[in-house]
Amino acid sequence: MARIELSHVTKRWGGFYAVDDLSLVIEDNAFVTLLGPSGCGKTTTLRMIAGLETPTTGRITIDGVPVFDSEAGINVPANKRRVGFLFQNYALWPNMTVRKNIAFGLGNLREAGLSVSEEGEIRRDPLAKGQARKLTKEEIERVVQRVSEIVKIQPFLDRYPGELSGGQQQRVAIARTLAPGPRVLFMDEPLSNLDAKLRLEMRSELQRLHHSTGSTFVYVTHDQMEAMTLATRICLISNGVLQQYDEPLTIYGKPENTFVADFVGNPAINFINGHGHQGEDGSFTLSVLDHYEAVFVSSRKISAQEWYQEQESREAAVQKPDRPVAKENEDTLFQYPVRTVTGREESRDCLSPDDWVIGVRPEFLSICEDGPLEGEVFSAMPTGMETTVRIRVGNYLLTGVSFGKVTYQIGQKIRMEITGDGICLFSRRNGCLVTTGTLHMRHPDENDAG
Amino acid sequence: MSKPKAGRSGFLKPVQNRIRTFFSKPQNVILLVLGIVLTISTIYPMLTIVRDTIRLHPGSIDASANAAASQKELLGTTVTGYNWTNLFTDTITTRVGRRRVTQSVASVYLWTPLLNSVLVSVFACLGAILYGGIFAYLVTRTDLKWKRYLSSVFIFPYIMPQWTLAMLWKSLFNSNAASGGSDGLFASVLGLYLPKWWCEGLFPVSVVLALHYAPFAYILIGGIFRNMDASLEEAAMILNTPGWKTFLRVTLPLVKPAILSTVLLVFSSAMGSYPVPHYLKLNTLSTQYVEMNASRAGQASILAVIMMLFGFLILIINQRTTSGRANYTTVTGKSGQRSLVKLGAAKYVLTALFTVLTMMTGILPVVMFATETFLPNPGDYSFLTHGLSGNTTLKWWVTREPAAESGMYGQKGILFNPQILNAFKGTFFLAVACALLAGTIGLLIGYCVSKNRRSKWAAYVNQIAFLPYLMPSLAVGAAFFVFGSSAGIYNTFLLLILAGTVKYIPFASRSALNSMMQLSGEIEEAAIIQDIPWWKRMLCIVIPIQKTSIISGYLLPFMTCLRELTLFMLLCGQGKIITTMLSYYDEMGLYAFSSGINLILVVLILIINTLVNLLTGASIDSGISGSGENRKKKNSNCSG
Repeated sequence: MARIELSHVTKRWGGFYAVDDLSLVIEDNAFVTLLGPSGCGKTTTLRMIAGLETPTTGRITIDGVPVFDSEAGINVPANKRRVGFLFQNYALWPNMTVRKNIAFGLGNLREAGLSVSEEGEIRRDPLAKGQARKLTKEEIERVVQRVSEIVKIQPFLDRYPGELSGGQQQRVAIARTLAPGPRVLFMDEPLSNLDAKLRLEMRSELQRLHHSTGSTFVYVTHDQMEAMTLATRICLISNGVLQQYDEPLTIYGKPENTFVADFVGNPAINFINGHGHQGEDGSFTLSVLDHYEAVFVSSRKISAQEWYQEQESREAAVQKPDRPVAKENEDTLFQYPVRTVTGREESRDCLSPDDWVIGVRPEFLSICEDGPLEGEVFSAMPTGMETTVRIRVGNYLLTGVSFGKVTYQIGQKIRMEITGDGICLFSRRNGCLVTTGTLHMRHPDENDAG
Repeated sequence: MSKPKAGRSGFLKPVQNRIRTFFSKPQNVILLVLGIVLTISTIYPMLTIVRDTIRLHPGSIDASANAAASQKELLGTTVTGYNWTNLFTDTITTRVGRRRVTQSVASVYLWTPLLNSVLVSVFACLGAILYGGIFAYLVTRTDLKWKRYLSSVFIFPYIMPQWTLAMLWKSLFNSNAASGGSDGLFASVLGLYLPKWWCEGLFPVSVVLALHYAPFAYILIGGIFRNMDASLEEAAMILNTPGWKTFLRVTLPLVKPAILSTVLLVFSSAMGSYPVPHYLKLNTLSTQYVEMNASRAGQASILAVIMMLFGFLILIINQRTTSGRANYTTVTGKSGQRSLVKLGAAKYVLTALFTVLTMMTGILPVVMFATETFLPNPGDYSFLTHGLSGNTTLKWWVTREPAAESGMYGQKGILFNPQILNAFKGTFFLAVACALLAGTIGLLIGYCVSKNRRSKWAAYVNQIAFLPYLMPSLAVGAAFFVFGSSAGIYNTFLLLILAGTVKYIPFASRSALNSMMQLSGEIEEAAIIQDIPWWKRMLCIVIPIQKTSIISGYLLPFMTCLRELTLFMLLCGQGKIITTMLSYYDEMGLYAFSSGINLILVVLILIINTLVNLLTGASIDSGISGSGENRKKKNSNCSG
């Protein structure tokens, strides 16, 4: 029930920028995940919104009300922001029963116009004036009953947290967070302490919870799968800098740069270096994988030259944030992995505008009898539903996924092709996505024959 | 016109905002206040004693030497270098037997006691670590019998007043022929007259202090043995390392930090001990200080300053080594099933040996004290040979009319003596006040420092609170004596409470910090988010979760205060608290009285310790080591 807006929020410790000039709008009723590798600043971001950490500079508003503004000198403490926070290790108070854990915060509410409905829902009358009141014992009990029903923990109300399993503790923590009716629910890797099976179950319950409460959820995770499955929007952060903020499928299908493409998706995307330029018909003819020639056709009309100009002018337009202290953890161009048999990678020096990277999701690499690409099976990992195959092409390794029950032998010769219109083309110079489209491979020998 | 104004507020606001954020956190406010208060209460008395060394003292040698000057100018305000120059450059003539010997002042008043102090401290450290360390190893790593009994009786000497063992030594071994005074049990009953070096001086003082601090070594070293990951030793065993080599190269280095912290503490405590060298007649810095306090007050202060320098030295060593101690944190892993070393036949020999030893140090003193209160005359053990009737008496306990009994010096029996009752009341009041203050301040320091781990100010507050821990008690007492005299609060409870609180805060802050560090910050943040006020968070969440170690933090100052003499004896008259009263009766030769008071004190402390232990699980040893067993259980709850 709240819209959160961050503008130019920076948090640094000395020269270490944990969060660097982050601007973000979290819409009302959204389920946003903050995703990124460990140490990228996602938890810091969450804690700053909740008020547990003070930003160095910037401005944060919840529901249009500024809760932090470094210039105006506003800093609403965490306890006055009316938010809920679910901690990674639940932080249940071990000296209180489950009931007391949930009721403790409720007994502390003191507002004008506070009431509890018959169903146990907390109502706040924003226009109410006059005496602030506390909840009565009966009202608190009604709320406790309601939230414990939501997460199905009524049988455990009189137990101590130490007497509950991990999953039950997790539910108690959720109930405790829901009880005072927070406007926003923050969750800091809430599922990482659970075993794999329980995690899947809780994931679906969290989604139901979001649906039924209608609150705004902000969720921190380093697990891209969790982010993909739960979120309405994903905010991908690296080194304190926002990489992309989009819906999950957009992030997956149209990653803005090589970092995003690499981080999201399991098995990871294949990166293939290519050299060549745009022809007159708009298609790119690139030499790839040492011996092959690939033709990339963009799904929309695009001119490489114009794109580069656009990029340059945009870079010039973006204001570099004022830095009182130099950033120790400098931003560097993401070194996307090109997997090879020897493990050695090509040098990345002296890149010209004609150097490109093609990103191929594993599902676009399909194995078929008459495919133009020739390779041999390097490793095969069947899970039953699908098989992840790593294929050696020359010195390069490509990953593909094939569905169905097919058994591959290591060393087996196979042919494959690249299908679909979701192939990404990135510039090697700045790692940014140029466009998506289709890719046709040709072996040089066939070329000669044709 | 409005431009500069806007610019200024734009600049000021972030600063204001920062200050407001800083003060909105209770831990910051508390740290600021405590930092300032502790700096004053700890450093100021120390500075007054340094200043005291260059002051003139009426009736003291510096005043008579400067008589001419002092008549013209006001006493006390004059700065003089006399105390230093006289101590370090002049000579003095003393009588040794029939001869008159001229020596330098420094060698008589400084170097000899200093040497004795250092020797006693070194020997006490070695003895405590050997005795306590061996016992710790046997109890934790071998199949010794009767472990529960042995380990609880082993720490008795530390719980009991320091002089207990010294008095026991005297009543056992004293020999009229060698050292004067009444004969001890060995001499009067067995006819065994021991040589003088055994009866008094360096040897017995070192042994007594070593026995007194051995429980300390046992608790600290045993704590590490207990938590040590057995796989470290098993890894060495798998590599076919001989047992002794495993012990020397793996086990011992892991125990090193515990040994080091024992050394640091025992060294300064032994140096600052007054009653033990006093009873067993060894001239140390502490006894020398007390002796010189009247006639050479300024020079006595110099001795106190020297003792403090040792304290600072130890603090610096401590800081150097604690930074390296982080390397050992991996030691306290979850130890799995550990096989105990099989002692074989030695098991019974060692069990018997330690049973006898712990009986001697833990049970015998109580029995001896009790016995002495029934002897008609000190050292008159005739009841052992001639039967109870006629050779024992109840008069020391129950006399109401002192005039009718011989040897009572006009005192009523212990049970009806208003002076003793008063002194007990005083001690209780003092102990409760010191425990409440020191425990609460220590708890707050532990809490705030754990919240502000990266802050330099927090580290400073922690250090300044810790400083008195490593200061010899007598030096702290001397500092507060000088401070109290100049402030006009000598012989008031205010001064006693002040000194006791400052000296005992480290006990509480250490155990509080240890326990707070183990409490995940999220536990409290979960309450902050729900707008639960600070005091409620403390009372309903933080304190209940760590109640065991927090109670230990109150218990330790309380117990120590009950039996403290060295720190308080300079600060008040004899009748104010029970330990000074006891010391007074001892000087008077009313040994039955001092033994009786000692008995009551020891029994009282043991009862309180047992009661608190049963009721709350807190105990003195968990207070010292800062790692109670029950805390681990609690913590596994917190982390889910």
